[in-house]
Amino acid sequence: MNMVSKIEAAAPAAPIPAAQPRRAATRPAPVRKSRLRYRLENLAWQIVLIGGFLLLWEYASDRWVPKLMVSKPSEIGAMMWKWLMDGTYLSNLWVTIQATFFGFLFGAGAGMIVGFLTGSWRRLGDILQPIVTAFYTLPRLALAPLFLLWFGLGIEFRIVFAATIVFFLVYYNTYFGVREVSRELISAVRIMGASRIQVMTRVIIPSALVWVAAGLKISVPYALVGVVVAEMLASDKGMGFLLSRSASQFSASGSFAAIAGLLVVALIVDWIITKITDRALRWKTVAEQK
Amino acid sequence: MLLELRDVHFRYHGEAPILEGFDLDIAHGEFVALLGPSGCGKSTLLNLAAGLLDPLAGEVDFGGKALTGLNRDAGYMTQGDTLLPWMTVTNNIGLPLELRNVPRGERRDKIERALKLVNLWEARDKFPSELSGGMKRRALLARSIIYDPPMLLMDEPFGALDAQMRETMHQELLDTVGRTGESVLFVTHDISESILLADRILVLGGRPLKVLEEVRIAWGKDRDLDKIRKDPEYTALETRLRDLLRAAHS
Repeated sequence: MNMVSKIEAAAPAAPIPAAQPRRAATRPAPVRKSRLRYRLENLAWQIVLIGGFLLLWEYASDRWVPKLMVSKPSEIGAMMWKWLMDGTYLSNLWVTIQATFFGFLFGAGAGMIVGFLTGSWRRLGDILQPIVTAFYTLPRLALAPLFLLWFGLGIEFRIVFAATIVFFLVYYNTYFGVREVSRELISAVRIMGASRIQVMTRVIIPSALVWVAAGLKISVPYALVGVVVAEMLASDKGMGFLLSRSASQFSASGSFAAIAGLLVVALIVDWIITKITDRALRWKTVAEQK
Repeated sequence: MLLELRDVHFRYHGEAPILEGFDLDIAHGEFVALLGPSGCGKSTLLNLAAGLLDPLAGEVDFGGKALTGLNRDAGYMTQGDTLLPWMTVTNNIGLPLELRNVPRGERRDKIERALKLVNLWEARDKFPSELSGGMKRRALLARSIIYDPPMLLMDEPFGALDAQMRETMHQELLDTVGRTGESVLFVTHDISESILLADRILVLGGRPLKVLEEVRIAWGKDRDLDKIRKDPEYTALETRLRDLLRAAHS
């Protein structure tokens, strides 16, 4: 099970608004070797692949490819070590994580609220949904100059920019999640004696939660993307700034070190969000685990 | 009479009237099957009895009183899987009691009895996704009877099951209502199912919907389904109902 979610986490999240939370229950492979052994073997292969790639890189740099373009793993490692020690990573990562967190929080919060309202209030949904879709098709990058004008270079700009990206992903998932709830289920629960509020809390919200969780999961990396892009566009702090500054100084090792830092953050954030959503959706995964 | 429909009129928007002056009576403890072709309006009748639909004209009385809003004194079971997937079997079956604010201790006793009644005691802590189709049906049956409603409204409840599981469920349903004395209004398009289960079969057809034939079955609640299947009377009934249904189709 853990492996499935890891593979899923590693795969790039598709930018489809209505993600598919329903994963087909897969039957585990017939047993030939123990699960632990299988996983250790996989791990070994992964280490060999990555290690081989790094060695090849180290060898090819300056021999086949100019070092100015691709740097060298050893130099990137040295740069990463330096940034780790002198606090460059810490201060810039902190700025990026903060902006990502708040961008995600505001975007996801607004997306869930608007999604629940438009999904459960049919008339409102029919009126608002086409308008939201119109804004969704607009390239979000086109809004950046306007946001810069409104919010300046500070963290507000980065937060708002990330939030606009997250909003739509969460909104669509929530909206369709609420609308997908089966009428039959609602009728059955109402006859059992549920009030309208109980239908909302007992049926609609938990049903929609699968979709909301899927929306949240795919939108976290997008929040990070939004913040980094915003930092590259206009900022004097953060990993995006570090990346674009290194590139503009022709420091390939700096650029790669910044990317590596982002990679680690993205993996940690994804791991945390997977843990949280898996816990909330235990009822769904319990049959697949067996 | 437990359920009475008097001169009921009903139509869906933009369609020909389904009901024009329809009458229906169901006595306490009676098992009535509504047999008719798909889409004839059987489920509409059931949903009127459940209070999910309101008649345009006429009256729906339940337990001697006019039905306003949802019929909360009925158990309701459809073909769909309406167990809540995020709740265990125990919590699903106990949900009606929880919604009715039944005290915790009483709830626990009733749930235990219901689980044992439908043979789900072993599976009580499982989630619906871990259950087989037949187990889900049994859980749904337990949930619809746990608050002892005087009447069960069932809309092709065993439609999606394989033949063998249906036979088991038929027996379990008969045993259950035999023990509890509940009335049942049972919608089906399956001829043999209606003969095996019902005390009275109403063959429905036409638009507006009419009772084409009323068939009384005298086998009682403690009938032996295997024996009935071999009874020549069963075969004769089946042939007769098949001809009637064919007429209803045309």
